[in-house]
Amino acid sequence: MAVEVVMPKLGMAMKEGTVSEWSKGVGDTVEKGEAIASINSEKIEMDIESPSEGTILNIAVPEGQGVPPGTVICYIGNPNENVMVNKPVAEEIKPENHKKETPKKTDLPNLPISKNVDRVMITPVARKMAQAANLDIEKIQGTGPGGRITKDDVQKAIKRPESKPENKEDSILIPAQSIEKTQEIPVNGMRKIIATRMQDSLQSSAQLTLTMKADVTALIKLQRQATEIIQKHDDSKLTVTDFVAKAVVHSLKDHPKMNSAYVEDKIHLFEHVHLGLAVALEKGLVVPVIRNADACSLRQISKKGKELAMLAREGQLPSEEMNGSTFTISNLGAYGVEHFTPILNTPETGILGIGSAYDTPLYIEDTLERRTILPLSLTFDHRVLDGAPASAFLQTIKRYLEEPMTMLL
Amino acid sequence: MNRIAIIGGGPAGYVAAITAAQQGKEVTLVVDGPLGGTCLNEGCMPTKSLLESADTYELVKNAGELGIRLPSNSIEIDWEVVQKRKKAIVSTLVQGVHYLMKKNKIKVIQGRASLITNHQLRIENDNKYEEIEASKIIISTGSEPIPLPFAPFDGKWIIHSGQAMSLPSIPTSLLIIGGGVIGCEFASIYSRMGTKVTIVEMGEKLLPGEDEDISGVLHKELESQGVIIHASTSVKDMNTNNKKVFLDKSDGNIDEVHADYVLVSIGRKPRVNGMDLERNGIDFSKHGISVNNQMQTSNSSIYACGDVIGGIQLAHVAFHEGRVAALNACGHKTKVNYRAIPRCIYTSPEIASVGLTETEARNKYGDIKVGEFPFSANGKAVISNKQIGKVKVVVDTQFNEILGFSIVGPHATEIIGQGTVMLHAEITTDIMEDLIAAHPTLSECIHEALLSVSGQAVHT
Repeated sequence: MAVEVVMPKLGMAMKEGTVSEWSKGVGDTVEKGEAIASINSEKIEMDIESPSEGTILNIAVPEGQGVPPGTVICYIGNPNENVMVNKPVAEEIKPENHKKETPKKTDLPNLPISKNVDRVMITPVARKMAQAANLDIEKIQGTGPGGRITKDDVQKAIKRPESKPENKEDSILIPAQSIEKTQEIPVNGMRKIIATRMQDSLQSSAQLTLTMKADVTALIKLQRQATEIIQKHDDSKLTVTDFVAKAVVHSLKDHPKMNSAYVEDKIHLFEHVHLGLAVALEKGLVVPVIRNADACSLRQISKKGKELAMLAREGQLPSEEMNGSTFTISNLGAYGVEHFTPILNTPETGILGIGSAYDTPLYIEDTLERRTILPLSLTFDHRVLDGAPASAFLQTIKRYLEEPMTMLL
Repeated sequence: MNRIAIIGGGPAGYVAAITAAQQGKEVTLVVDGPLGGTCLNEGCMPTKSLLESADTYELVKNAGELGIRLPSNSIEIDWEVVQKRKKAIVSTLVQGVHYLMKKNKIKVIQGRASLITNHQLRIENDNKYEEIEASKIIISTGSEPIPLPFAPFDGKWIIHSGQAMSLPSIPTSLLIIGGGVIGCEFASIYSRMGTKVTIVEMGEKLLPGEDEDISGVLHKELESQGVIIHASTSVKDMNTNNKKVFLDKSDGNIDEVHADYVLVSIGRKPRVNGMDLERNGIDFSKHGISVNNQMQTSNSSIYACGDVIGGIQLAHVAFHEGRVAALNACGHKTKVNYRAIPRCIYTSPEIASVGLTETEARNKYGDIKVGEFPFSANGKAVISNKQIGKVKVVVDTQFNEILGFSIVGPHATEIIGQGTVMLHAEITTDIMEDLIAAHPTLSECIHEALLSVSGQAVHT
């Protein structure tokens, strides 16, 4: 009996996962526990290990195709075994993801794979119509029962030339003469999720950004002192971001309206602060969440934040750790950015962007001093609150940062 | 809040309720009247019960032809028993829906519901008020008979279909205004029970939606059962005192008809009033609440399905729409599928059709092929002594796509199911040529009609 390898469910909310890369092909022998593919979903990237030793008989889900959890993605068994391949049932997937694609061709000859693999479900009327229009039915996306191609689907495919499925976007974004030079990168997995979320965020809320500068000279001094003390115990250190996180948590307690979400014409105020920290990965952005940050000390926030960021970089972060934040912090300081306009992690009401700290001469009373300035950018949802209370919130953060002892006492 | 509230307990509403409950939602069903709606209480089911009695009466009267000798002068209808049986059937079926509600843990509240907001309902019952909250609301309040503009229903002389099925006795005479499905069904019931029936239809023929050669068979049969049919005729005046109706006929003459009852069956209108739809941003007109193909109204938290959205007012369409509305309200994305909807008329003979009529197909496709097979050439129909009528299929010339079936004849409403499957699966005639139909059955006529498209029918 061939073993079915299925798309795992990586969290309660996971609706779809994508095989980003097959590290093995049809005909390859695999050991139990050997990585055979890497998959991604809702900002998670992970390897799939072979559940048994054997030969990969069939790959049911090609690279880049999104399928719901539980869908068989490949079969592992004896090389001369027959596999009955069930078509993935893909009710909830967006149409662009269940285009029919033939499994990757391999050079291994005579592999006895059941003919079902290439069977396209299509109604008799649709088949004749497609033949008459000289359409390749493999490329038509079926919307009938069980993904069957119907008359409607063929009529739609006839209207839209099949060679250019993304026709519309192309003609808008890319000048005709440059098409040949353009490299096309399929948008899927994490990139697709980020694309959708960011666009949804901008389209579904009333965002604007306020900026302010905090004088963090005293804070930097305190940070160095505190780090020195901490490093006597372990080799961790407190960063400016840790202090900002702590200041944000305090400020949210002072301005509870900012710790909220706008959902279905209601403002939901949250009792606790679950702080999201944007972390840039090679493949995109993830936002691990420090739960109950309002109950954490500065050191706990620092420690937890670093742990989560580490896990995220290793692709080990469970999706539960990336959901449910009530406010988010994004830091572009390391890239030399000063102010910017962060995009809300909807449905949250606020996101704070931290810029790059810089030294500048500043008048303190009548004397010019060398001070360290930290640029802050607060994007908030104007549907929830207005400019004045949002400015007051930002002011509070600034005050905590300028008088750091107040948030430690 | 994970509650779905549904207004109306007819075919659309109770199916929506069960579907939402199966999706794990807490469901509240607000019902103004008995569960089961028009279909169970004063529509499909009770009329079919009366038809069964009429059919049996006719069968017994003609039993002599099959060699059963009965004392013909003692065959009579016990109207009281007919009514009792009808009530018992309705009660059994309504109880069945009650059981389904209980089984699916659906809370049923009696009362009239109106929208406070898109997440709140006010329910009024006997001047008592209750408010409930729900994340999504589904409206399925159904429809009601349209009265004549100049003569409202009085329940005594001018009656609607709901009243026509509960008359105290079999009327001596009945005038039916409107020769559509409901009018023809009542004509078929009462004419066979001995009532002198007159049908007045404004259009050129009975059953305006069906092909002339199909409705013509029924027309002839009704006439042979003693029904007088006035087509292209309108009602000029009505006199309640002497129970006379004055008809304005197409030839310019005025006819005067006396009738014990006047059944007005000129259509049904969606129940859209009294729910504060407007204030909650829900688009509607007298033709019903506007919805998209996911049954969602212009207020995204509110869905509507069944007769209240107008369109095709059939119980089985309401079942389908109820299910689609509930699935979408539960967060899925499904669309309604109107590809193959059978239309059934329970007269004697029965009429059933699915897909396009010949007339519609000619208008849409221009050149089409038509296949026909008469029941008179079918052994089983001859044995059953029911040889009237035919099966007709219309097919497109390019792909041999089956575009529609129309059947008039014995058990048409049952055998149309085969046509429904073929249209649903988008089957072409060439695939059906080597089909094996059981012999002897009425179903053979379906296969023979398909064969006759290419001149290959065997038994004609």
